[in-house]
Amino acid sequence: MIPKPAASGQTMIEFKDVHKWYGDYHALRGISATIRAGEFFSLLGPSGCGKTTLLRTIAGFEGISEGVVLIDGKDATDIPPNKRPTNMVFQSYAIFPHLTVAQNVGFGLRKQRLAKADLDARVAEALEMVGLKGYGARAAHALSGGQRQRVALARALILKPKVLLLDEPLSALDKKMREQMQVELIKLQRQVGITFILVTHDQEEALVMSDRIAVMFEGEIAQLSDAETLYRRPNSRRVADFIGTMNFLPAEVISETAGSIEVEAQGFGRIHVDPKQAASEAPGKSASIGFRPETLTILHEGQQATDREVGAVIEEVVYYGDMTYYDVKIDGTQKMVRLSMRNVFGRPVLDRGARTRIAWSPGALVLFR
Amino acid sequence: MKRSARGAGTEASSGLLLVSPPAIYALVLLAAPLATIILYSFFTDGYLEVIREFTLANYWETWVNPLYRTVMLRSLLVSVLVTAATVLLAFPVAYFVSFHVDPSRKSLWLFLITIPFWTSYLIRVFLWKVILGYNGVVNSGLLSLGIIDEPLTFLLYNTNSVVITLAHAYAPFAILPIFVALEKIDRSLLEAGQDLGETKFATFCRVTLPLAMPGVVASVLIVFIPTIGDYVTPQLVGGPEGRMVANLIQLQYLRLDNYPLGSAIAVSAMGIVAIISLIFLGLTRRYLRAPK
Repeated sequence: MIPKPAASGQTMIEFKDVHKWYGDYHALRGISATIRAGEFFSLLGPSGCGKTTLLRTIAGFEGISEGVVLIDGKDATDIPPNKRPTNMVFQSYAIFPHLTVAQNVGFGLRKQRLAKADLDARVAEALEMVGLKGYGARAAHALSGGQRQRVALARALILKPKVLLLDEPLSALDKKMREQMQVELIKLQRQVGITFILVTHDQEEALVMSDRIAVMFEGEIAQLSDAETLYRRPNSRRVADFIGTMNFLPAEVISETAGSIEVEAQGFGRIHVDPKQAASEAPGKSASIGFRPETLTILHEGQQATDREVGAVIEEVVYYGDMTYYDVKIDGTQKMVRLSMRNVFGRPVLDRGARTRIAWSPGALVLFR
Repeated sequence: MKRSARGAGTEASSGLLLVSPPAIYALVLLAAPLATIILYSFFTDGYLEVIREFTLANYWETWVNPLYRTVMLRSLLVSVLVTAATVLLAFPVAYFVSFHVDPSRKSLWLFLITIPFWTSYLIRVFLWKVILGYNGVVNSGLLSLGIIDEPLTFLLYNTNSVVITLAHAYAPFAILPIFVALEKIDRSLLEAGQDLGETKFATFCRVTLPLAMPGVVASVLIVFIPTIGDYVTPQLVGGPEGRMVANLIQLQYLRLDNYPLGSAIAVSAMGIVAIISLIFLGLTRRYLRAPK
């Protein structure tokens, strides 16, 4: 992973109990969060969760029904989009089809009344920054998807905004191009030091790029944390389900003290869980134990577990080249769980129906209750 | 390779087959009469017949005789005025329907815009006569309100009435192409304009208007080309000082029995329209290039 630039810690955007109604539809339900200056922040969630609406309240395209949005300490309610220190990269890129690349990039500079030479220099500089040196004279409609996105980036960054808003900017690109652009965006953000706010439904993209991620469901922020915490300690089953793969097995809380929770987990028996590893769930739901596919190890013959082990039967094998996914049934459970193993040199791929042993450790388990 | 070549051949021949009925139609009913008229315009006018003798006298007469020149210039002026009025009034209507009407109601609005077509063109022209006449709706209305003491006479039988009537008749033709062009504009482009620091009005000037130009150009041509040769409206509401070139051609053909001169005027008018249209297209070419 590319090291992330340190955010300065100063608040750039602040949402205070923001609500948005579309008629009867409650699109944003009390959003409160702060985004720090210089941070790469992502709004992650399924479609219809309100992430784009929230982004558009920052840009000023969407008014809010209740609450306050502060941009750089100022109440933004009455500031129109053209007066805000924010610029946006639209999902469709919104490249002006009747202008050249250079005219697109220089579009927002008209107000600054620069001399022609200065304007050209600024545009050339911005194009070079996004890797489109020498493309200025091209017609905008003749560009490829990746090039359009770069033009959109240059057009926004040339105005030196305090905040750059990115609305699913990579969703229209193919996989290879997307991965390349992720890295480029991170580098670019580090280079310019501007606060980036990214909207995405792709959890992998959010994990790769962001300093912090807000996971949204149905108009609310479900969890706001850095990528690793989000992945290792999701605060609800819903977040755990949305970010990567999480296996769940039924469990029952036996007793609870300040330092430890005693749990009877199907397949794993009685274990003690650190309260830090426990996610609170809405009351009424039964408890369960969750774990990621890679946190348990399938042992090969003769190998000893470092901590504990449990027997299992392999029900399905999915070979991915670098990885193999095994759907296994742990002894004493009815539900299939998915484990993944890296296909390191010398490790045989196991067959369907084979009996095996699985090494585990209580620290890898997350309690949901 | 062979197969694809043959496939292309079949496609081309079936395409040819598809266009041939209208192509034959166009050839017989458009190209042939046109060729005849052009031919006639170079013949000499006899007493009761046309003498098939090449001459340029008809064109000389058309371009030099001050009467014909006046009528031609008036026709041009009328159609320029009609085009300007129609397109300038059509743009806000098209803009309103495209940007401010709820998408589910747009087809209803377009339907309403076409309502004038439900009445015959002739009847609509007559109705303007009723509205603008000496004892017409406007005059009697203003009289009864006491705003005027005697009926206004400048309303009917002059260039004004021709412009008003034609502008009304061609309004739907102007609205629809502009509407289509506006509909094609990606709305995020307008947000982008504002996001990049421009006011709504500046965004309109820098983004909406240039992108709507193909529609505006189409509207201008659709209104300009037919209005210059309109016959019915000047005949009915134009009076002597509202006569246009089509009336003149009719006069030559049917009253004065001078086919060659009538043809020369017709061909000249056509040439002028073609040249003006081409110049206009040339001037607006840069807006028409960018595909969406």
